[in-house]
Amino acid sequence: MRERLEEALRKGKADYVEIRIEEVEATAVAFKGKEIDTLSASKVRGGIARAVVRGGWGMAVFNDLKELSDAVRRACELAGLVGREETRLAEVEPVQEVAGAELRGRDFRGVLLDEKVRTTKEYNDIMLRHHPKIESTETRYRDSFRRVWYVNSEGTYIEDERPDISMYMTAIARDGDNVQKVTERAISHGGFETVEGLQERAERAARRAVELLSAPPVRGGVYTVVLDPRLAGVFAHEAFGHLSEADFVYENPRLKELLVLGRRFGVEDVTIVDDGTIPGLYGTIKYDDEGVPAEKTYLLKEGVLVGRLHNRETSAKMGEPLTGNARAQGYSSEPIVRMTNTYIEPGKVPFEDMLSGIKLGVYAVDMVGGQTMMEMFTFSAGWGYMIRDGRIEELVRDVVLTGNLFETLKNIEAVGDDLRWDHGHCGKGGQTAPVSTGSPHIRIRNVVVGGRR
Amino acid sequence: MNLSEVAHKVLEKVSGRVSSAQVTVSRGESTPVSFEADKLKAIKTSRTVIIGLKVISEGRLGEAQVTDPEDLDRLVDMALSSAKFGREADYVFPNQPPPEVKLYDGEVAKLAAERLIDACREMLELVKDYNPEITVYAYANKWVGETYMANTSGLDFRGEGTSYSIGVHGELTREGDILMAGYGRGWRRAEIDPSEVAGRTVEKFRMAERVVQVRSGRMPVLFTSEGLEVLLLSLRLGLSGKNVLLGSSPLSGKLGEEIADPRISLTDSGVEDYRMGSGHYDEDGVPTGRTLLIEKGVLRNFLYDLDTATRAGKEPTGNTNCSPNNWLISAGDVPNDEILRDLKEGVVVYDVLGLGQGNPISGEFSVNLALGYKVENGEVVGRVKNTMLAGNVYEALKHVLAVGSRAEWVGGTLYAPPVLVDGLSVVSKG
Repeated sequence: MRERLEEALRKGKADYVEIRIEEVEATAVAFKGKEIDTLSASKVRGGIARAVVRGGWGMAVFNDLKELSDAVRRACELAGLVGREETRLAEVEPVQEVAGAELRGRDFRGVLLDEKVRTTKEYNDIMLRHHPKIESTETRYRDSFRRVWYVNSEGTYIEDERPDISMYMTAIARDGDNVQKVTERAISHGGFETVEGLQERAERAARRAVELLSAPPVRGGVYTVVLDPRLAGVFAHEAFGHLSEADFVYENPRLKELLVLGRRFGVEDVTIVDDGTIPGLYGTIKYDDEGVPAEKTYLLKEGVLVGRLHNRETSAKMGEPLTGNARAQGYSSEPIVRMTNTYIEPGKVPFEDMLSGIKLGVYAVDMVGGQTMMEMFTFSAGWGYMIRDGRIEELVRDVVLTGNLFETLKNIEAVGDDLRWDHGHCGKGGQTAPVSTGSPHIRIRNVVVGGRR
Repeated sequence: MNLSEVAHKVLEKVSGRVSSAQVTVSRGESTPVSFEADKLKAIKTSRTVIIGLKVISEGRLGEAQVTDPEDLDRLVDMALSSAKFGREADYVFPNQPPPEVKLYDGEVAKLAAERLIDACREMLELVKDYNPEITVYAYANKWVGETYMANTSGLDFRGEGTSYSIGVHGELTREGDILMAGYGRGWRRAEIDPSEVAGRTVEKFRMAERVVQVRSGRMPVLFTSEGLEVLLLSLRLGLSGKNVLLGSSPLSGKLGEEIADPRISLTDSGVEDYRMGSGHYDEDGVPTGRTLLIEKGVLRNFLYDLDTATRAGKEPTGNTNCSPNNWLISAGDVPNDEILRDLKEGVVVYDVLGLGQGNPISGEFSVNLALGYKVENGEVVGRVKNTMLAGNVYEALKHVLAVGSRAEWVGGTLYAPPVLVDGLSVVSKG
């Protein structure tokens, strides 16, 4: 493969050319309700050639490897149509690396389909059996083993293997028109052990869904809110992390002014970091999809904006250090600036102290999704509890938080001492990427909580 | 690669080993052009091939996909082994003639990359003419493809398709405020007027020149054709025959009942000429057609794929995964530009954040207004920020105040008029 790639590369006439080929073998099992819903397998191979001419990008995606040289030629031609300036890419030391997956546990490629189906069914059955009000379930297993070949015109050659495995367990409880859904998941770049022994988690999803049936919706209003680590990690990722991605700042003079390094955005207790080097986390990578090694990058240090995430182009154009954050979903996608493992550094406040002094507030727990549009964010807790006079009281549902990032960062009143990690997928520009998020409990005043009443 | 040859090779390999099998081979080329921050940024071309196989063996369904025509043995092995543990399937893939629907426009195939660049540039300039301080992002994309479908019942179908879409959005940053707004359009023909698309984007910025406060409370909300997505997400889940069969749809058991205001009628259609959601067949080889879902407020039908229809004892409607093809909502009797006339106070919704995060199947929603406006005494007075909108889709559908008399296509797969709904909950921080 290496020779083929290097030969194709030589056909390119551009300031810079790279090729990435991927081969992915995947299995997916899904149960819906009592029955198996889908069981499918796939083997997909394809690649992308990217070229830069005078600062303009051309790209060609292909499935048929016989088109490799043609794809390089097309990418260069298209880049020629686009480019009108000079090419600026941050310097990076060429690397030569052939890396294999480190599957210390059970390699899922050796696990029989029968066992994958049985394991998924077991969790599905646990949820279905839990309570008569569990009306339906959705249990999804997926594994994929990805081999990646990357080569660029500066002499970098990388071979990598990226295993991925997940189990999503969703319990749906219903009482008349009231439908409640709770999902538990296990997800990693490891082996089959990731999805073993999840019986208790399946039970928990079902129990919580049934409990939520009798929980009232939270009353809409403005509250002091305590976020649990999972939700706070999503807040760091969604609300702040995305604004730290340089690709939407670097050619926008007004945003550059707004997001200038050195500007204070939050209170002193708040430090937010992106670190792609932490072993065992879901967003960890050795190299990004431009062959740049992963880094630890401080985004917000003691409330002050000190860094942001880059690809080679944004780094060169903004004159800021490379961070190794150019990541692509797969062979048909170009790398875009993405987070890896993003977290709020723990502070000193124990959870009990965090509640004290709150007359009426909401303890928001778990998360079902988050979305941002510039400085506006909306994210949904799995559930919540009312806080009254410093004590956690009744369970409530439909806890959706919304606000303005800049105001919210200044309204953080306390940062807990209990950092916890969570793993999932982040969507951006039509691509998803594996990421981890982390945070301790945090307390924020003046948050808009949506509710139906 | 000859698609027909590949399809028939696969059928030969499974012949005698399965009770029914269907192969779908698709090939296509797309060419997206993107402008970022006022400049042409990239052009991409994607040539993709996918070969999919579904088999039914000993009453169970197996599925597999590969991209390489050299991998056909592997494809067959994977499909057969997944059929060992797959879903029980008491049907065969059908062989019925395709419906009449136009999906291909030779003019799209002829569009050169330069033409796409020109369309983007025209939109960009029109937005800049309105306000040079807006940072502009634009795209144009064309796609040309063909699909070959063959099955063991004798279906042998080749279809060609095209699509073309363009759009422009802008970003206006002021101290403490960032506004994003845009508009895009797509269908299967080469004719889309860039000046009209840009005009829609400019109109959104124009209405947002002032930022105003809205009080918290219950009030009427106008869902523009674009904003209707807030209500339609839950309906898509609720009208899925699969969710009905599983019992998780709140519409289960409500056929023949009034679930919406009599002014609301909704039809699913896979046979609208040149529309993005149109096609000859669904994934299982069932011909598409039109399905009346809600007739003057009364629930008439659900969407069924072959598997679900077989289990539920219904007719399949030609909807892969029981999901919509195109949705058509009937126009009403109030001229669109008069729909706000008698409104003392209310909100207009174009775009929201956080849709589907909660529990969309229940009908409940609680979303942030990404792009919404306040109405006072029949006039849009400005944009609202930091505002949440909450309610229940099924309650909202019964509290319709007015339906606009002119429907339009949005997002490529929805034809809808604006709909004014009473009594939704607005929570504002201000």
